[in-house]
Amino acid sequence: MMTAILRIESRNRLKSSVILTGVFAITSLFFLAVFPAMRDGAEAIEDAFPEYMMGLFGFEELHTIEGFLGGYVYPFIWVIFGGIYFAYAGAGMIASDIEHRQMDLLLSNPVSRESVIIQTIASIWVPLVVLNVGMAVTLFGGVQLVDESLDPVLLTMVHLLSVPYFLVCAGIGLVFSVTVKRVGTAQVGAIGLVFMSWLIEGLSEMGDTYEWLGTVTPHRYYDSSAILVHEEYAFSDAAVLTGSFIILVVIAVIIFVRRDIQ
Amino acid sequence: MAVISLDNLTKRYGDISANDGISFEVTEGEIFGYLGPNGAGKTTTIRQLLGLIKPTEGTATVLGADIRNRKALTEVKANLGYLPDELGFDERLTGNQALDYFARMRGDERREELLELFHPPLEQKIGTYSSGNRRMLGIVQAFMHDPELVIMDEPTSGLDPLKQDRLHQFLADETASGTTIFFSSHILSEVQRICDRVGIIRDGQLVALEDIDELLERSGKQVRLHLSEEVTESTFVTEEMIDVEIVDRSVQFTYTGKYNSLLDHLTEYDIDDIEITNPQLDAIFKHYYSEEYTEDA
Repeated sequence: MMTAILRIESRNRLKSSVILTGVFAITSLFFLAVFPAMRDGAEAIEDAFPEYMMGLFGFEELHTIEGFLGGYVYPFIWVIFGGIYFAYAGAGMIASDIEHRQMDLLLSNPVSRESVIIQTIASIWVPLVVLNVGMAVTLFGGVQLVDESLDPVLLTMVHLLSVPYFLVCAGIGLVFSVTVKRVGTAQVGAIGLVFMSWLIEGLSEMGDTYEWLGTVTPHRYYDSSAILVHEEYAFSDAAVLTGSFIILVVIAVIIFVRRDIQ
Repeated sequence: MAVISLDNLTKRYGDISANDGISFEVTEGEIFGYLGPNGAGKTTTIRQLLGLIKPTEGTATVLGADIRNRKALTEVKANLGYLPDELGFDERLTGNQALDYFARMRGDERREELLELFHPPLEQKIGTYSSGNRRMLGIVQAFMHDPELVIMDEPTSGLDPLKQDRLHQFLADETASGTTIFFSSHILSEVQRICDRVGIIRDGQLVALEDIDELLERSGKQVRLHLSEEVTESTFVTEEMIDVEIVDRSVQFTYTGKYNSLLDHLTEYDIDDIEITNPQLDAIFKHYYSEEYTEDA
């Protein structure tokens, strides 16, 4: 059975996914605890922040639970930290196996390098499912605690449409992991790039001159505010992200099958 | 039939040739010793045979597959076992889980049989293993799918002498039933004990390729003498003696001539004690690695 790698990699990702879900859940509950105060004083807060900060973080309708989640909780916890986690996880895949000499033993099996990459990246389904389900359940329950309610369809969509975004982050990490020699370097590089593109996208929204710059960042194609506040489901953006992920995986495969494993 | 065949296999890193035009064949059912000091290029050859790194020039076939043909090489790996020098197991798995993992990719019909000979603590996580246990787990995974060819890189490192003997015996039994073993080592006595043929690699080049027995024959006899009187080098030493050491009445040398001429020569002296043995490969090795040998060759 040529799913041995997928099975073991999935197994290995379970623990970190559960721990991270716990951390994200607790953090988002802390965020939610602030919401009642925010609900009353949102206007003052929106006035207090300079406009570019509003643009950077996508603050909008902060006094509604949809605006609060879409403009505050999701951009921070999901887009920044979630994105960083997937970039980190992707970057740790191949580079780590090479660095710890596991790749030598693995490739002595009748398994192609293409299959190794595809099975390894496919194991990303574990954190995708665990994190999404864990966060959705936490926030669905959490909003009840602050006497609010949230349309489960909106909640589902904000998570579903984040999947392609996370895939791209993981894909960026994967390309680093097949290119860079040391796993630490790959991880720092991938995290740095994902964080930088978040920053670039945020800043690019502030003026027309550099607006185009944001279009090359994955962050342009996932907007939690638009989903929660305006009920805009950007399926075409999700398709762009999914296509980008596939391209990143193909690039990673091409690099990996050509390189020497020292 | 050649199980492994190297044809001018070359791997360069910039100006440095880790493998420089190496050619030889390993035939079915033999234990081939690949001998050389650390850094000579043994592992570079092995990594090319496994398709982990690509040759700069030349090629090789493994079980009939050209190593430049990735698809063909991947397929024949079902009949290949590999014991690397540095065993990279997933430390979070137990021994059993690691074996299950490899079994899913290539089978494990001989697993139980092997675990009777080599028994690492299978219920424990590999992270807690000693180097000997790690090596035993490596041996089991290399042989458990009953491969036709097993490539072993420094296989006895970390094993205690008892387990080393067991491995040597096991390898002899395996080759008797047709398995081919490619055995890289820098431990000469080990290669001498178990290998049929040996290839010696130095600075990326193959400097010798012969039967162990012929190698020993060609390399002369190790002679140790204890004489009743002191001798001087100028009168005692003949042309056939190399590596001569004389300390008082004790003499030691490697004799490259015939036994009879040696015995004739020795009748002129009063001998207290004499010992004539096969030289250790160390001594032979020294010749291959000394400048003198290069000139002779």
